[in-house]
Amino acid sequence: MKSLDPRVNRLPSDDSSVAKPKEPLDQLATFEVFLKKSEKRLMEHVGIVHGADEEIAFLFAKEQFSRRYTCIEMWIVKSSNTFATGYTEADVSVYDSIKHIDGVANEEYCIFHLLRRGKQHVFAGTVEAESVEHALSKAKKSLGDTQVFNIWVVKSSDLHKWSQKELWETLPDKGFRDALAYRAGDKLKDYLNERKNG
Amino acid sequence: MYGGGSIIDNIKTTAIEDEDPVQLKAFETKIERGEKVEPRDWMPSLYRKQLIRMIEQHAHSEIIGALPEGTWITRAPGFKRKLALIAKVQDEVGHAQLLYSAAETLGKSREQMLDDLVNGKSKYSNIFNYPAFTWADSCVITWLVDAGAIVNQLANARGSYGPYCRALDRICAEESFHLKFGHHCVIYLATGTSIQRKMIQEALNRWWKPLMHFFGPPDKVSVHSELLMKWKVKMASNDEMRNQFLDMYVPKILELGLEIPDAELSKDENTGVWNYADPDWDEFFEVINGNGPCNKERLDVRRMAEERGRWVRKALRDSEMQYVTPLA
Repeated sequence: MKSLDPRVNRLPSDDSSVAKPKEPLDQLATFEVFLKKSEKRLMEHVGIVHGADEEIAFLFAKEQFSRRYTCIEMWIVKSSNTFATGYTEADVSVYDSIKHIDGVANEEYCIFHLLRRGKQHVFAGTVEAESVEHALSKAKKSLGDTQVFNIWVVKSSDLHKWSQKELWETLPDKGFRDALAYRAGDKLKDYLNERKNG
Repeated sequence: MYGGGSIIDNIKTTAIEDEDPVQLKAFETKIERGEKVEPRDWMPSLYRKQLIRMIEQHAHSEIIGALPEGTWITRAPGFKRKLALIAKVQDEVGHAQLLYSAAETLGKSREQMLDDLVNGKSKYSNIFNYPAFTWADSCVITWLVDAGAIVNQLANARGSYGPYCRALDRICAEESFHLKFGHHCVIYLATGTSIQRKMIQEALNRWWKPLMHFFGPPDKVSVHSELLMKWKVKMASNDEMRNQFLDMYVPKILELGLEIPDAELSKDENTGVWNYADPDWDEFFEVINGNGPCNKERLDVRRMAEERGRWVRKALRDSEMQYVTPLA
């Protein structure tokens, strides 16, 4: 391949013009990512990444969601381990349709609420329960007095947490990737003055 | 970056007649109220189809868009600019990840989308089929192509589909870094030596036509869909976005003493509408159909990356792995 890009020129020659179709899971599995921007903020859902396991998912998530804007803590959970209720609208809360269930409090579950449609889920709290349904029923009692449009339930043991703040401390040199290092207003002003004064 | 408002195909409105009228009414009322549609909500199949196509094209544009700019990473003038450009290109690839995820929530797998890209079945923004000859080309892309993308993306961020809007909010925040960096680079060239000035002027000349193409064909010839506007899939017409871009950036370009290679470019102060020479729409359609200067190289590079990474992805797979459509 002959290109203006020296990196492309270095690629080995390749004569396949049609790529083989991707197999299922070629892009690996999906993980939900949550992060906490600062001490004052709640843990909130920010999106998903694809990865082979939680470690790799974390590496991708760290690049994806905390590269430009930092955070102090990140949680990762397999999408397949996240239970989601249906969505409600207008003034109907998901909790309105959740029935009371008895059970044993033998496992911790994390509850995430969608407080406004169009926004992202935020961490609401934990409950001790024996199943997802039981966790929802207990959450209704302890967390259910707000209007909620959607609820996610995750077993705490399925969440992988990274909370060492120093993970997000960056080298001063990295400032050069930011726009703040590229002010050119003075240069422009000098140039405009020069032109005005002939 | 990126994603021009350009390549929305003709849609057949007949499909709409097959939808459940009660649910359709509720869906449209919700959008009218300004509420967002979420992945598990009922939606017309046409809405789903158009959004997948649009978000997917946008995602492809991000990874393909990283190629012309990446050309200059190894030769960026100075260590700091090199860092900034690496970070910018990484941002673009990250944007593709966000957008693919948003499209996945609508039910198309990432594997399928990437297959469709390398096999030429789905499109990406035309502008990346042009070469970046010099560092100045890279500066024009970083400043003006990103500026165009911001105009387009800020409009779409007010759309109706929740996951797409959330991805765009993140993307726009990062684009503003690019815009500042790009402006800085252009100012340095434009206020520099005569050779530097010549470089940036020539780059602007090369990119002006693709920039005018960026927002898509004029409204009078493009397939205009009131339905997509009503459903808040498309938020502004091609001409509206192009006009807004010209309003914002023509003064900034002229202030640097650069010339815009269009003798007919002028603003009608009464209507606020810019007039411009025909930027050769035939060329636009030629490039879309695969005959631009770099179409083949872009797809070849992408295909090779796919092929050469295959064994790594295969080695990472394990039997417990499970694909689940992303939740939000």
